[in-house]
Amino acid sequence: MKKTSPAYILGFMITICTVFGTGIASVHYATLDMLIKNEKLHKNRTICRVFNLPVTGASADAFQKAIDDNISYEQIAYQGRTWDVYEQKDTSNIGFVFSGTGFWDRITGVIVISPDLSKVMNIQFLDQKETPGLGARIEEGWFTDQFKDVPIAWEQPADKRIIVGQAPIPTAKNRVDAITGATQTSLALMRFLNSELETFRKAMKEQKEKTMFEIPSPW
Amino acid sequence: MAYTPKQVFLNGIWLENPIYRQVLGICSTLAVTNLLANTLFMCFGLIFTTALSNLTISLLRDYTPKRIRMIVQVLIIASYVMMVDIIIKALAPDIHRFIGPYVGLIITNCIIMGRAEAFASQNKPMLSLFDGVASGVGYSLVLIFIASVREPLGFGTILGMTLPARDLWWHSWIIMVMPPGAFFMLGMFTWFARRWLVKEVKR
Repeated sequence: MKKTSPAYILGFMITICTVFGTGIASVHYATLDMLIKNEKLHKNRTICRVFNLPVTGASADAFQKAIDDNISYEQIAYQGRTWDVYEQKDTSNIGFVFSGTGFWDRITGVIVISPDLSKVMNIQFLDQKETPGLGARIEEGWFTDQFKDVPIAWEQPADKRIIVGQAPIPTAKNRVDAITGATQTSLALMRFLNSELETFRKAMKEQKEKTMFEIPSPW
Repeated sequence: MAYTPKQVFLNGIWLENPIYRQVLGICSTLAVTNLLANTLFMCFGLIFTTALSNLTISLLRDYTPKRIRMIVQVLIIASYVMMVDIIIKALAPDIHRFIGPYVGLIITNCIIMGRAEAFASQNKPMLSLFDGVASGVGYSLVLIFIASVREPLGFGTILGMTLPARDLWWHSWIIMVMPPGAFFMLGMFTWFARRWLVKEVKR
């Protein structure tokens, strides 16, 4: 068969795609367990960091033990979405996984707020694909540390309860600095963080009402 | 022109080094060289990809229709890059979180496409494999040198280990952590290499 014939080209491409597709799938399958373990370890480390938990050692078991000893976990369903909610046993601080669209892709993180939902205790990011050196700096300590003890201004409009960047009053207590050169990432973070806080508050309210009216089981 | 393995190695590493002679692969050179550990994983990814893509493209060169050879090359390179990406994600997840975007960009690294088109598609498989390894090693040596300077100057560490009594005698240069620091280093290294290491060909 001539190499220039459409049938040869088609057959060649199908063969190449099949061989390399199988190769990629095999590598992925061979490393699947490691990928799942890494993902879990990363999530546990982030939760330990955001709740400031004492961890003895750096192994996956040490992080898991710290979480088991100090955190209670539950899932709350609200408007078709399930929230992963964590509660610190001694302080009753509440943490939940939030996410939203950043400048390039989805950003996911964990935020811890006080039991009365009045202020942010800490924030850490689980996953982001923002511009390295610019938007990706949201993970850096100087940025996340700004959120510690920042009050959530529930009396303000829903998109201004936490302000990232410029505020009408520069000394506003619910404001943190944006990242220079990453205005779009900072604005996107402010938008979806406020939206997530609002939805979470409603979810918690509904959950409390449900528990209040729940009839205790005789068993 | 027939090459010997020795010539191929010398060209890739020294005489026709992809960074300071061909000025290819500069994006990742600037981006990942602020930490030596990140650089080493990036170099592993690039050597793996150049070597295997060169070998595969050379093995298939007699069967690949000329009209679609570029598509085939990109497909082969992209497949190897995806494999490298999965392997780094499994073995070094923390490093992958930092260099992940650049690993994906290996697909567009001019060194790989350049070597595939200029060398592998016209030479025998083993020689092409040597050429891929040599180009990758040439790229890696320059990156490792730049990272070995940037990390101590920028962070006061080397491979993440703090330099002895750093706080007593050293104040970190923040510019070395940022891309401009890489520009300075690369510029100085290229000037040094072209002035003293390699003789320019007189036309």
